[in-house]
Amino acid sequence: MAEDEAIFDPTLKKKKKKKKTTFDIDAALAEGNDGADGSANGPEEGETVAAADQDQNDDTADIDLDFTKQKKKKKKKPFSTDDLDAALRSASPNVSAFGSGKDDDLKSSHQDEETLDDETFNLDFGKLKKKKKKKNLDEIISEADVKSEDKENVDENSISWVGSDRDYTYEELLNRAFEIMRDKNPDMAAGKKQKFVMRPPQVVKIGAKKTSFANFTEICKMLHRQPKHLLDFLLAELGTSGSVDGNSQLIIKGRFQQKQIENVLRRYIKEYVTCHTCRSPDTILQKDTRLFFLQCETCGSRCSVASIKSGFQAVTSKRAAIRAKTA
Amino acid sequence: MSIQNLNTFDPFADASKGADDDVQDGLVHIRIQQRNGRKTLTTVQGLSSEYDLKKIVRACKKEFACNGTVIEHPEYGEVLQLQGDQRENICQWLTKAGLAKPDQLKVHGF
Repeated sequence: MAEDEAIFDPTLKKKKKKKKTTFDIDAALAEGNDGADGSANGPEEGETVAAADQDQNDDTADIDLDFTKQKKKKKKKPFSTDDLDAALRSASPNVSAFGSGKDDDLKSSHQDEETLDDETFNLDFGKLKKKKKKKNLDEIISEADVKSEDKENVDENSISWVGSDRDYTYEELLNRAFEIMRDKNPDMAAGKKQKFVMRPPQVVKIGAKKTSFANFTEICKMLHRQPKHLLDFLLAELGTSGSVDGNSQLIIKGRFQQKQIENVLRRYIKEYVTCHTCRSPDTILQKDTRLFFLQCETCGSRCSVASIKSGFQAVTSKRAAIRAKTA
Repeated sequence: MSIQNLNTFDPFADASKGADDDVQDGLVHIRIQQRNGRKTLTTVQGLSSEYDLKKIVRACKKEFACNGTVIEHPEYGEVLQLQGDQRENICQWLTKAGLAKPDQLKVHGF
């Protein structure tokens, strides 16, 4: 009995696992994003808490920030003190105006002053926080979306050492070099991710054992590839058989979901459509002495791509049926 | 009498052996095949013939709680065959056991 239970348990687990594996990649991505978000949010919250704790004495807060930021903070420290001074200066006339307008006791004016001071400090902290946020984002997500903010930071960086006589760091110079590079040639592959927009494959079930890939030829045309080549790849990857029927749709043996076909298509595009050097989709696939070569129209590179092999295929159908066929 | 300069010397003799004692060369293809219903098969092709595939399959069967065999194929050599979708498992296991590096594994299928 114990053995029976032991046998039953893994099957249950397996089913669960299978379910997971079907949308595994997306889930993993989502988790990864969540994790990144969490890590992005984590320090900010921590900062806010720290800032709230150290509202009264700004010096300690500055020092704290110094430690967290290390060398990047160096140039910010004079700025922040300047800001504070400016804020205080701007705050004091405000307070005086406030006091004269209010016709109250000195105590109340004092209180107002204090509260206003606090407010200015808070504002300052807000500024600092924002700057830090940008930094965090830059560190965590180095994407094209953040480029505008990145630019600001880089500008700060590039300016920051001009006035002072301190040494510039390697990272600052590197950022500056990349910034100049991006400015000079904006459509470079290294500058930003080139999105390759595809229409999703329409995958429909036919009965219990077959799947139809309805816009197969359309996708072939979009990719500028021979339908035969894509067909070979799909069938080899999926390890099944199939054919293109009369109204230009692909019938595959076996049950497949759209997500699964998408995965395979993505792999095909990565290997046989996008250029391996510059990742541009503007390529031509040529056959040259039994080997396929991928010629890029953008950068002119030419490289061989892996040949399509179905490899080992296990026997999945009834052996008796095979024997009957061959005999 | 022998002239040392005329001795044949193969400069690539130790290059063909491999830098460190890495027995695994070439890609390991991990494929999945659909059977009837929602059943699947996982095949592992291209593991080095230096390895004892029978021992590997014995360990895998125990680890993944599935059945499996070693199949002798005239073209592809010995191929591991496991029941169910074991692609993730076998990838992790092969890297953990140090039989293949992650960049030597190639996972096919959906």
